Amino acid sequence: MMRTVTTLKELPDVGGLIATGMLTAVGRPGAKAGLPARSLVVEKHHQDAGRLAAYNRVCGFTLRNQVPATWLHVLTFPLHAALMVGRDFPFPLAGVVHVTNHMTLHRPVTLTDELRIAVWSDNLAPHKRGVTFNLIGEIHVGDELAWSGRSNYMAMGATTDAPAPPPAARLSPPEVPASQLWQLPADLGRQYAEVSRDSNPIHLYPLTSRPFGFKRPIIHGMWTHAKALSSLGPRLPQTFSVDVAFTKPLMLPTKATFAADEADGVWRFAVARPGSDAPSLVGRVTDPMP
Amino acid sequence: MVLRNAVVVGGNRTPFTKAGGRFAAASAQDLLTSALDGLVARFGLAGQQMGQVTAGAVLKHTRDFNLTREAVLGSALSPHTPATDVAMACGTGMEAIATIANKIRLGQIDNGIAGGADSASDAPIVVSEALRRAMLTASRAKSVLDRVKAFASLVPADLIPVPPTVNEARTGLSMGESQAITTRKWGITREAQDEMALASHRNLAKAWDAGFFDDLVTGYLGVTRDTVLRADTTADKLAALKPVFGRGDDATMTAGNSTALSDGAALVLMAEEEWAKEHGWPTLARIVDTQLGAADYVTGAEDLLLAPTRAIPVLLERNGLTLDDFDFLEIHEAFASTALATIKALEQGGVGVVDPSKLNVNGSSLAAGHPFAATGARIVASLAKMLAAKGPGSRGLVSICTAGGQGVTAILEGI
Repeated sequence: MMRTVTTLKELPDVGGLIATGMLTAVGRPGAKAGLPARSLVVEKHHQDAGRLAAYNRVCGFTLRNQVPATWLHVLTFPLHAALMVGRDFPFPLAGVVHVTNHMTLHRPVTLTDELRIAVWSDNLAPHKRGVTFNLIGEIHVGDELAWSGRSNYMAMGATTDAPAPPPAARLSPPEVPASQLWQLPADLGRQYAEVSRDSNPIHLYPLTSRPFGFKRPIIHGMWTHAKALSSLGPRLPQTFSVDVAFTKPLMLPTKATFAADEADGVWRFAVARPGSDAPSLVGRVTDPMP
Repeated sequence: MVLRNAVVVGGNRTPFTKAGGRFAAASAQDLLTSALDGLVARFGLAGQQMGQVTAGAVLKHTRDFNLTREAVLGSALSPHTPATDVAMACGTGMEAIATIANKIRLGQIDNGIAGGADSASDAPIVVSEALRRAMLTASRAKSVLDRVKAFASLVPADLIPVPPTVNEARTGLSMGESQAITTRKWGITREAQDEMALASHRNLAKAWDAGFFDDLVTGYLGVTRDTVLRADTTADKLAALKPVFGRGDDATMTAGNSTALSDGAALVLMAEEEWAKEHGWPTLARIVDTQLGAADYVTGAEDLLLAPTRAIPVLLERNGLTLDDFDFLEIHEAFASTALATIKALEQGGVGVVDPSKLNVNGSSLAAGHPFAATGARIVASLAKMLAAKGPGSRGLVSICTAGGQGVTAILEGI
């Protein structure tokens, strides 16, 4: 499929996009219209040290020359949001949930690297609870692919005639007791919204999360993902692939446990509410996949 | 008992920046970890279990009680590497180096890393003493009423956060105000201070241009050179600055001849000499000996920042040396007038005469900046490299003054 490429001068302001997305929620074409055949690109993005430092503080990373892989996802997010608020996007922004995420750090990226950021969507597929699709991101440093990401989202309740994909392998939590206990304060969603620009109302206040069915705000899945990687610390290799499944929302404030185990060069990890058998996030770090 | 030799293998530091500058967002923890990242990369230490890592910070958050251990755990070093924090104000880095050197010499460890980090940008801010006490009382209170009562005595001013100061606890004077007394007492002129500042900038700029720091500094957050450094400063520019410390017509201390508040981190890699050779590590210089000194400054009998002049004679006598036996003298420039008064006091005390051609030849804190706990490792890594170039048997003296009227001094010998 040929995609039209739209080049933006800079990453768009997400706050405005999310508001637009909320206002244009009705009248979306739905799954049968298919995903827009568009990609959005920012050719030269210069990273901001102050923003990175704030992101690192909220997620538990040390501010060093090499940036976290999940930070690169955050840089693709404004373009993802821009793609999804376009009126040709089949589903309303507020009705989609992040189900799984895959990313690969192909080479270390430093704060001073100039980045080419590109995103598009693909792979509309039926699911027993709705329709899933991918938001793809790629970041190049010069001619070299440095990072690639695939966020799998679900539009709850939607239907499609698209063929069903082969069932994906499920991630399994490590079979070891938790070794860490995290404190997630009531304002963590607002803190992460500030540094990630993802100010979806379900993450902010009880008043803003309630219309979406959550008595209290839930933390962004990508915060939990980032915190899990920062908790592995220097055990993360220089290049790697990481898969996570967001299996259950974490309502704020809460505590969460973190368990991790390594076997044959593969780290498996899980985040759960204390005492809960059902994890909120399950993940796996492997050698970089092509 | 036969002591072993502790040698400097190499060092790594971040560039130093002015407080509130390019490292403003970085904590002391970030800075120390980044200096460690650079050292690990330079010497291929990833996965290695080191004997010990010791460092510290002067401006320290309570959450950083395990600053150095946390830096180790955030680094690629083996998590089995033990780490400790030390504190001796601006002597922290040098005292950390002395600790590791002594353990190596005693045979307790074969190698280690020492240094320090400071961020004047990310300094801890605390609540007022009255509010702190009220909060502690409230936390012990059994009833809501008692909890409320605990805060009853507070006045609005108690709620204002207290920024850190470098005031001496016992004199109430800032470092600059204390040094202004010393400057006047020892008759250190404005011209002499500006001349020293100019030499510091020129020497440091020359060293950067010659590539001297290529294997001593790793860029951080896009900064690749010390940003306090003014390569183009001139005697006229320095002379035009208004005094900031001292009062009256004879106030001589300016922002140009005093060190700037700065951010940065520095570390030194050390090892036992034979062990280093067996493992193919460079051996630049031996840490021969170190000596602390302390001054009776509280009632003005002695000077706050001249305690090194009490340590140096002891150090020289124990090692059978005089000032003339040294090829390089590294006297930390807390203020130009501190280094100048130190030199004058050594002369008047009959310890010896400092040859200006041997003094801070690659620049010092006036030009490089002075992230307090990082200064010791900046000096020792640079001096060890200079001694290695000078050749076997060459000698260097380190002198660093600290808050609390203390000083730490050391002798290094080229290999």
